[in-house]
Amino acid sequence: MNDAAERKLALSHLWVAFIAFIVACFMGEYQVLERSGLIPALDSPTVYFASVSTHGVLMGFVLTTFFIMGFGYYTATTSLKVPVWNNTLAWSGFWISLLGTVMAAIPLLTGNASVLYTFYLPIQAHVAFYFGATLLIVGSWIWCGIMVVMFKQWKQANPKQPVPLAMFATTANALLWLWTSAGVAVEVLFQAIPLALGWIDTVDAGLARTLFAWTLHPIVYFWLIPAYTAFYVFVPKQAGGFLFSDEAARGAFIVLAVFSLPIGFHHLYMDPEQAKGWKLLHGIGTFVVSIPTLVTGFTVIASLEIAGRLRGGKGLFGWIGSLPWSNSMVLSAILSLLMLILGGFGGIINASYAMNAMIHNTAWVPGHFHLIFAGTTVIMYFAIAYYLWPMLVQKPLFSNSMALIQLWTWFIGMGILTTPWHVLGLLGQPRRISSVVYNTLLTLAWKPYELAMIFGGLILLGSACLFIYNLAKTQLNPAPTEAFTQQIEYAESIHPVKELPEYLNDFKLWNRVIAVLMLISFGVPILQFFFMNTFGSPGWGY
Amino acid sequence: MNKISEEERQRILESSPVGTFALMAAVVGSMVIGWLFLYFGVFIPRGIIN
Repeated sequence: MNDAAERKLALSHLWVAFIAFIVACFMGEYQVLERSGLIPALDSPTVYFASVSTHGVLMGFVLTTFFIMGFGYYTATTSLKVPVWNNTLAWSGFWISLLGTVMAAIPLLTGNASVLYTFYLPIQAHVAFYFGATLLIVGSWIWCGIMVVMFKQWKQANPKQPVPLAMFATTANALLWLWTSAGVAVEVLFQAIPLALGWIDTVDAGLARTLFAWTLHPIVYFWLIPAYTAFYVFVPKQAGGFLFSDEAARGAFIVLAVFSLPIGFHHLYMDPEQAKGWKLLHGIGTFVVSIPTLVTGFTVIASLEIAGRLRGGKGLFGWIGSLPWSNSMVLSAILSLLMLILGGFGGIINASYAMNAMIHNTAWVPGHFHLIFAGTTVIMYFAIAYYLWPMLVQKPLFSNSMALIQLWTWFIGMGILTTPWHVLGLLGQPRRISSVVYNTLLTLAWKPYELAMIFGGLILLGSACLFIYNLAKTQLNPAPTEAFTQQIEYAESIHPVKELPEYLNDFKLWNRVIAVLMLISFGVPILQFFFMNTFGSPGWGY
Repeated sequence: MNKISEEERQRILESSPVGTFALMAAVVGSMVIGWLFLYFGVFIPRGIIN
């Protein structure tokens, strides 16, 4: 199949993602420097919060959304072996999202949208920011639609056949994103935009936070699912083995999609607008979501164990040394899993209803989500890019050694950045502060950790530059004299699935389950705003 | 990469991933110990929230 059109589509998305990423990396290093107070000339809360907001939006919305779309298109076309359905529509989604990104970037960079990436109301941004964010999401909905159509068309053309795992995971993510983004879309359309346009004078901040909580947790799984997809469909093959269980993988994606949605209130444990019973319910659901992560950890490690033993590894742990550590996909998976263990532990502390009070709104929280997102997730984005880039540009990777150095430095830098961040949280440093303008024994105790974070950030910045350099050199290098023949290889299961029950091969049932769970977990908590006196700030602010 | 016989290959593919079970047990155990340490060693000694 000539997939030139799909390669161009995927490559365009991935470049936007990685340009956003490298810009955000420079901002991140500036932020740790500014916050430390080491260079007085940098002190500026105005610039700091504009930078933090831009950094968060670029990393959390632009890098992720464009990467997931680009990776999704290429996964769909290569796993189903069909062209992307409606290429024109796919490109329109790309341009709409890009237009939204540019529209949001202007107020962000000019200090008119310093509302952080959560843009909690009543903090208000310029209306262009909200319109830009909306367009970015609308563009991604087009991607979701295309993935769902391709999934359905393939199923119709191949009745009773198991949908390839890579496409099953991609479609799970598309459906998850449609559900996930509904909360923030309602908040932006009915609260943030009317407020920014001056159509209303007040908003109910509690309702806004509840709607954002709808989005805030499952969005993490939207980011994470491409990493899990690579764990299941690329890593076993690259390690020289087989996927331990195809069914377990599908089950993990289903549970992730279903249970990551109705649990967002663990972000609101300290908020007054929701009752403690609802928070406890969401808290319990949060622990349920750890199950698919444990299943994923087990299945991926078991796949690696099989590969290691097939490569001659003996004994209980001897297979670890036999793995191909010089393969960037395998190395990334191992480093990613290590960061997932540490980040997952931090997440369990966050989700613990009582202990959350200890770390809530402290530096622990950005430490945690950098480890999970920038660590576990983004290192797998690197791995996917290193794997796909040669096929996308039809040239061999510029330097595998550079890729390995880049992955190790990213892992080391992330450890040096996030460990002190967690400690600072336990020492009581609030998150979202630009500087400390007073000196006490407490704040002086923070200094060594902040210095370590600057060093960690520098390593990460260097690593990010290496990543971009390697990709750019790969693309800009002269074309090889011989035809480039490398093809994408998906892992086979030890026991290949011939047929599957419909609940492991489709999402109709799971969409209904999600609808019921969302109604239970968010129905009354949202409706209450329309029935109770909110002290002069009616539901939608009208 | 060592060459292995077809019999050995089949045995590996059909065997239980004992190393994975051991690693997962160690990870989950460490998490439980870490959680208990933070709860009883850090959180509770800080006293009530005021």
